[in-house]
Amino acid sequence: MVAGFESRPLKAAIWLMTAIGLAIIYLPPLYLVAVSFNPALQPALPPLSDISLTWYFALAKERTLISALQESLLVATITALVATGLALLSALAYMDLGKWRSRWFMFVLLPMFVPGIIQGLSLSVIFGRIGLKPFWGTVAASHLLWALPFAFTVILTSMAAVRRSYLLAASDLGASWWRQLVDVTLPLIKPGLVAAFIFSFLLSLNEFGRAFYLVGRQNTLPLAMFGKMNSGASPTIYALSGSIFLASILAVSFVLLAAQAKDRKLHR
Amino acid sequence: MMTNNMNSLNGAMASNISRRQLLKTLGAGGAALAGGSMFRPMSALAAGDLAFWATGTLDVGDAWSRAADDAGLNVAFTDNGNDPGPAVARLVAGNANDLFDIGGLQGGAEKELAVQGAIVPWDMSKIPNYENVWQWAKDIPYLQHDGKQYGLPAVINADSIIYRPDKLGKVDSYGVIFDPKLKGQVAMEDAWINSAVFAAMYLKESENQKIGNPGNLTEDELGLVMEFLIKHKKDGQFRTFWSGWEQGVQLVGDGEVLAMTGWEPIVYEGRKRGLQVEYAAPVEGYEGWGNNLVLLKGAVDRGLGDDAHKFANWLLDGFYGCALGEQRGYVVPSDRNVAYAEANASQFDPAKVKALAEHVKAKFSGKVAWQNTRPDNFQLYEEWWQKLRNA
Amino acid sequence: MKSPGLLLALPTALIVLLLGFVPLIVILVWSFWTWDPATYWIRPEFSLAGYEAILEAGRWSVIVGSLGKAFLTAAICVVIGYPAAMAVHFLASRRTALLLMALFTIPFFTSYMIRAFSWRLVLGRNGLINGWLMDLGIVDQPLDWLLFSNFAVNVGLVASYLPFVIFPLILSMQRVEPSLLAASQDLGAGFWRTFRSVLLPLTQAGIFAGFLFVFVMAAGSATEVQMLGGAAASMISVMINDVMRVVNFPLAFAISTLVLIILFGLIFIGNRLFKLTSLFEGFTW
Repeated sequence: MVAGFESRPLKAAIWLMTAIGLAIIYLPPLYLVAVSFNPALQPALPPLSDISLTWYFALAKERTLISALQESLLVATITALVATGLALLSALAYMDLGKWRSRWFMFVLLPMFVPGIIQGLSLSVIFGRIGLKPFWGTVAASHLLWALPFAFTVILTSMAAVRRSYLLAASDLGASWWRQLVDVTLPLIKPGLVAAFIFSFLLSLNEFGRAFYLVGRQNTLPLAMFGKMNSGASPTIYALSGSIFLASILAVSFVLLAAQAKDRKLHR
Repeated sequence: MMTNNMNSLNGAMASNISRRQLLKTLGAGGAALAGGSMFRPMSALAAGDLAFWATGTLDVGDAWSRAADDAGLNVAFTDNGNDPGPAVARLVAGNANDLFDIGGLQGGAEKELAVQGAIVPWDMSKIPNYENVWQWAKDIPYLQHDGKQYGLPAVINADSIIYRPDKLGKVDSYGVIFDPKLKGQVAMEDAWINSAVFAAMYLKESENQKIGNPGNLTEDELGLVMEFLIKHKKDGQFRTFWSGWEQGVQLVGDGEVLAMTGWEPIVYEGRKRGLQVEYAAPVEGYEGWGNNLVLLKGAVDRGLGDDAHKFANWLLDGFYGCALGEQRGYVVPSDRNVAYAEANASQFDPAKVKALAEHVKAKFSGKVAWQNTRPDNFQLYEEWWQKLRNA
Repeated sequence: MKSPGLLLALPTALIVLLLGFVPLIVILVWSFWTWDPATYWIRPEFSLAGYEAILEAGRWSVIVGSLGKAFLTAAICVVIGYPAAMAVHFLASRRTALLLMALFTIPFFTSYMIRAFSWRLVLGRNGLINGWLMDLGIVDQPLDWLLFSNFAVNVGLVASYLPFVIFPLILSMQRVEPSLLAASQDLGAGFWRTFRSVLLPLTQAGIFAGFLFVFVMAAGSATEVQMLGGAAASMISVMINDVMRVVNFPLAFAISTLVLIILFGLIFIGNRLFKLTSLFEGFTW
């Protein structure tokens, strides 16, 4: 508990707003997870007695969706890795750029203001000109452009945790620029790096307009979902969303448990 | 099974190679990315693959393997999103011709694509099964350009109104959509290619307005039709405009609307879900549409022209028509479907195949206005649609 | 300890120039060309028709309306997100904080299209919310305006982009020294006083970043408006899609150029007036 937050009504108000935020973002996915266990075709909450895994079993046969999911995971992972790396470099550069900082910030931010479909189309024109055939990499290139400003801003925000005094102290102790980066800066901005990675991953995973013009023959998941919803979807699309939802809960619980175990080891 | 495994093994190997290659290329400064043909997507590796890029409704899933057995064609199907507009944009300005061999698009844009050089004419001598295509399907107004055949009708149907007979009784006119008593209880599609046609048919046939061809309105006719829609929109007549199958089914299924213009398979789906829904046979007639096969120029450039013709011929050979009818209730306009079912009665029920064909034929025996993705004034249609959106 | 400042900027500079600015040239040039109905394509002939068309058919009102919706969405997200970030950073134990951050991320791995669609099921006439309201006797008739309305669009947009405001806020709160808050309290300042004089100034960067993220994403959204808005509801991306549908590239690219200029202009002016970029410089940096 931090000083200043002792008042009970204040705490209650803060937790209430947090609960409202969680309710708004959880209502739709929880509803659709419930729907995915309904064996009926009409999407609705199933009566408890009817709960079934019908659509989850049917999912195994949905090769279109599964290969689209694989494609999207590949693109999102590459996008997130490259965007986080580049954003880190750009943020470090920002620190060193002095009076050019403002201009550098604007420069990196600019691509995020171009409407997605138009960016996708114009990139496809350029790629076409240089003879680059569309494949997952062309999608990742456009997603990189979309994710980079986000990742950059997030890392910059977390850079505030790095005090010049820390770096000066390290420098006085004879630490090279590289050692300062590895031993001081990176540990301090680690939450920012993680957030930048997650943001980039999510931005790529849900991106539609750019991908439409840049995919190869293998659609990404949003494109495949869009097609399915437009031309006769079966409730397997809910089962797919349900599976992804449950898988992310499992993955996150695993990470949390691992972090806890590490904590315990450290404190023993 | 064996070949499947081999394919996925090949796929895995090749994609690893391409990933390594990518890292190497990036390391070399990225300039060498021009050697892009190294990176083929996983699904499109086997040599001789024929890439079919079409509306999702044309996908028959596992049944594509029959094209390999019958005609030696490995068909790779990619969904183009069921919106002809962006697909055309990707064909003329984008990269669709680098990727795909045959397109399946809602009809109307053939002339434009031909003028642009994005598609090339079919050599009809290589598609003997075209003989058996129903004559009125061959007569769809925009299949030919400059006396050459650019579009082949792969799937046809005629659309009208989906409605709830338990609430409305029998509906036989588009008037129901504009009935003030049903304010806030009706919907239309968020696409002028359909909604302007329905409104024009209603105004022409039931309100005796001077309208020539509802599928290709003149400037004045378009103004009349759109002002009519704008007035009703402002009155709060429409609950919403829908786009795409799942949204349409949801509107009817969840009781948001009692009547809406839309696709017949939504009725089948509604019934499967236990709803009482009917499809109207309006006095004003149906809106007919064709989803047509077009031959992409890229296919010919890659030397796949003959394979593409073989594919088109296979599509019209009967099996595909039976499979599509069974899976989705759509009809390939050819008598060969029934012939195939009769010869393979263990696979498909000939009576059912015949009933479906007769059902669609009956719809086309009356008044039909053809859907047209590119009416002559198509830029004006778009402008009016913006006025409707912003009214 | 000379650091390789410019060298660090090089990879990003190259990528942004090649992938970002080169296509921008295509966009700019095509926006001034002429659409030719005879060839269904554009001719390299100078024309302002694309820009003129923005003034017609209410197109400009879509741009203004979209920016309004985006602004409202971003503001609501900040109002909900700020307390949520405070809960994570100041109130929760380390373990709960991690859990909360995870909770705010998980829903966004599922398809955004399905999430938007599922609001139709929740907010509809016979949906979950109307069911509750009627069961509780709050209303007798289902509320029609819950769905296919601006209300529904705003709910959908907030739900779609909320975490993008929370994380920058949490990160910016990390620079708030607990000792500063304690000092403020020792000086007799109540919570609101401390909030205004210490917390808010120190977390400006996070507020700006979060607001910007949500604003830009909401301004570029289409799905939420199409699925949850009323009859033929529009948004910038919906309009661009409509124009692309008739391959009127000069108009589509003129709209994009205008949107780019407006958005970038807002940031640019904001930067001039409020020194936005200095927000990212630590106060001891």
